[in-house]
Amino acid sequence: MTEKNEAFFEIQNLTVEYHSGNAIIHAVNDVSLSLSQGETLGLVGETGAGKTTIARAILRILPEHSVESVSGKVMFEGKDILEMNARDLHDLRGRDISMIFQDPMTALNPVKTVISQIAEGYKLHHGCPQAEANERAIKMLEMVGIGANRAYEYPHQFSGGMKQRVVIALALACSPKLLLADEPTTALDVTIQAQVLDLIKDLRDELGTAMILITHDLGVVADICDKVAVIYAGRIIESGTKEDVFDHPAHPYTQGLFAALPDLEKEVERLSPIEGLPPDPSVIRKGCDFMERCPHRCDRCTSFDNNMVELSTGHFSRCYRTGNEEA
Amino acid sequence: MARYVIKRLLIMIPTMIAVGVIMFTLMNFVPGDPAQLALGSGVHTTAEIEAKRQALGLDRPFLVRLGEYVGNIFLRFDFGKSLIDGTDIKWELMKRFPHTAKIAIFSIILTVVVGLPLGIYTAVHANSAGDRASLFVTLLFDCMPSFWTALLLVLLFSLKLKWLPSSGAKSLSYFILPTIANSLGGLAGFTRQVRASMLEVIRSDYVTTARSKGLPEKDVIYGHALPNALIPILTVIGMRFGSMLGGATIIEVVFSIPGIGQYLVNSINNRDYNACTGGIIFIAFTFAVIMLLTDLLYAFADPRIKAQYESSNKKVKKNG
Amino acid sequence: MADHTHNKKGGGHHHRGHGKKGKRHHIDPGIKPGSAKYIWASISHNKGAIFGMVFLTAMIVLSLLSPVICRYNYAATDFEMMKSWPSIKHLFGTDDLGRDILSRVLYGARYTLIIGILSTLLSAVLGILLGACAGYFGGVIDAALMRFLDIFQAFPSLVLAMAFCAVFGTGIDKCIYALGITGIPGFARLMRANILRIRNTEYIEAATTINCPTWKIILQHIIPNAVSPVIVEIAMGISRNGLASSSLSFLGLGVQEPRPEWGAMLASTRNYIRDYPYMVIIPGIFIVFTVLSFNLLGDAFRDALDPNFRD
Repeated sequence: MTEKNEAFFEIQNLTVEYHSGNAIIHAVNDVSLSLSQGETLGLVGETGAGKTTIARAILRILPEHSVESVSGKVMFEGKDILEMNARDLHDLRGRDISMIFQDPMTALNPVKTVISQIAEGYKLHHGCPQAEANERAIKMLEMVGIGANRAYEYPHQFSGGMKQRVVIALALACSPKLLLADEPTTALDVTIQAQVLDLIKDLRDELGTAMILITHDLGVVADICDKVAVIYAGRIIESGTKEDVFDHPAHPYTQGLFAALPDLEKEVERLSPIEGLPPDPSVIRKGCDFMERCPHRCDRCTSFDNNMVELSTGHFSRCYRTGNEEA
Repeated sequence: MARYVIKRLLIMIPTMIAVGVIMFTLMNFVPGDPAQLALGSGVHTTAEIEAKRQALGLDRPFLVRLGEYVGNIFLRFDFGKSLIDGTDIKWELMKRFPHTAKIAIFSIILTVVVGLPLGIYTAVHANSAGDRASLFVTLLFDCMPSFWTALLLVLLFSLKLKWLPSSGAKSLSYFILPTIANSLGGLAGFTRQVRASMLEVIRSDYVTTARSKGLPEKDVIYGHALPNALIPILTVIGMRFGSMLGGATIIEVVFSIPGIGQYLVNSINNRDYNACTGGIIFIAFTFAVIMLLTDLLYAFADPRIKAQYESSNKKVKKNG
Repeated sequence: MADHTHNKKGGGHHHRGHGKKGKRHHIDPGIKPGSAKYIWASISHNKGAIFGMVFLTAMIVLSLLSPVICRYNYAATDFEMMKSWPSIKHLFGTDDLGRDILSRVLYGARYTLIIGILSTLLSAVLGILLGACAGYFGGVIDAALMRFLDIFQAFPSLVLAMAFCAVFGTGIDKCIYALGITGIPGFARLMRANILRIRNTEYIEAATTINCPTWKIILQHIIPNAVSPVIVEIAMGISRNGLASSSLSFLGLGVQEPRPEWGAMLASTRNYIRDYPYMVIIPGIFIVFTVLSFNLLGDAFRDALDPNFRD
């Protein structure tokens, strides 16, 4: 994929805090990333790293009752989404940026037919008559492989994989410029996962949509993405093109992720998991987030300023070693 | 849907018969001789009492009387005669039912008309000043005994301000205070239930989906959240309606309204067990009909239940 | 809604979704939810619960001590002091027979408390047994018990309680039985739903697979998990039955004059409401606060026992 123009989507210093019971959870810390038109970014990290929070913050659909604060900028075509008024925000949601949710079982309204749920957004953004919106909805359903005869059924009449297809049809109904796919296959059977992933890939290519794909599966990233950002404890710790990150992983955490993957070409006695657990997100730490689990840990880590180090053009890592020693 | 209606009726009918059997049995073992009661106060000879027993059919075995009683109710809608004045209980109940029904119906209307919007508002604006005020007031109302509320209302609106009558049932204005007194507690509880149900739905994933489509907040709340929240609320309304029917009993006593509740309380105090049994069974019937209607509405509103009972030639597809 | 969540300059304005959560900020983060310590910490930080505990404790103590501390006997009539408005001599005034309302109200607290508590415990014990049987054994036993309980739920609860009052007669014990039996189906259904929910969880399955004996599963896994909703329901039940007992007494079906039960007091003085409203207002306020106290305690328990179950 070639860069068509300047980044049309950019997150700058996004920080999100939740409050949970008696603690403040620092879910996303100073995250910056950018995306060109038609490009796909893979956001990789383990559960609780803050991936979903980033996606929800982009559309401003964070759970209101537990959000403590959101700061930073989310620039889309030159406008900061976080500063938008309600009208502009409603126009943007669904039309310019839309989202595929993780759990198709709960993402659809149980008392509405699938066609009405898909047509609703299209009708809203295009101001067209219901009949035209319905036509579009049926076309979308057919694109995701669901026959028109099932359009007037309710979500409970569909299987999990079919529901996720409906959710995808819903998200793509207005041909958005940016699609946020939040672990779109995690809740599905393994056999269905590949199908759904291929579907997303095909539709993305067909519609020329840029995409942020949230996943913890490096295989999926290798398959679909142009760029990769690895997130750990709410911070991006390494980012770059897929080739940069896959061929020359620089951060010890990224290296650890690859070491934990089974490799068909090499004979290995056993996989090496990353020891330990991510740090408590309610505690403000000094130094590197990963040092507790890092095999290369040394005294300098405790005073690390957490700045990104550029290894080569566009390849960043948040580890002091990467700049000095060879990667 | 027909299958669902039939299924519900099949559950309801035996329950109602059991209600009749149990009430008759319970009242049969109440201490005191109905024949003596029927003869009134004063001293009666054994022969007189025995004659009365035979006249009332009390000399026959228990099971025979039970069968006859339940049969009369279900086949002829006949509740027997009052022990005290010999009046036909069915007609007494029919005469009084409109008053009780008015109180219960007005109460549930007031409850829904006020409680539903208030519950939705407080859920949407959870934790706002309005929500906190509503929570406080509803909590207090929920703890107020209806007869006390009734007396306070009478004190203020009838005795001090002289706006509304304090007893009787001559026109609709006589039902204003009884309705308010009967619904205030239930209204408070209902508002809190609507709030809880709505809050749960507002935080569900599909509401986030609706929001992410770009729908304005109004459409998200009323188009997506409310229809889902309303489904459990339907059942709540049915339950509240039933308890307001029961609550009307106390209200009728306070406001001297000649309804079924007052009849029931009087018959218990007079030990007129025929009238008492009849009144209770009659209320149970009404209650059962309300719950039946609620369940049917529920099934109609929820496509998941509706689909289960859709005509059998169109099989529910589980997989695509 | 979500449109307002964002706060640009980070940290300046704190967006709190929920006040209740705000309250919990006082609890030491080191205390684990679910532990007795946490429950206590949560309840003792709940203003409503504190009000409830203080009010109820005061009522119990004052009711017990009322024969000693009150200047007048609750039953003593004084025909020279009939219907006298509240004054220094009679803080709450006197009723139509010249009886001191303060003494009567304080002494009378015991009826609402005793009937409320004992009737709820009666429903709880029997209801839990029936519900646990239905839930645990399932099948025919379950179906039969549930259909049987359906019969009791075919009445509005107040009417059912009135029916039992008609059968048993009047008096404190009769009132306890009537309300106690009326409340059984509620507890039975709660317990049954509980058992079914817990039985189907994976930790029970896990315990079964490692050959954990049945008694141990029941004792260590099912009961502790089933107990929280029951405790909440007991507090709520006491509040409901306290209200119902005064309603029954008001109708002349529960505790009767000359016993100073609050509902009965209201029934006997309601005719004087025009000229002596204090006779009606004062006992009513005590009913409201007693019922409210149990209600608040129930709410506090619910919040403390199940951190997920909050709105």
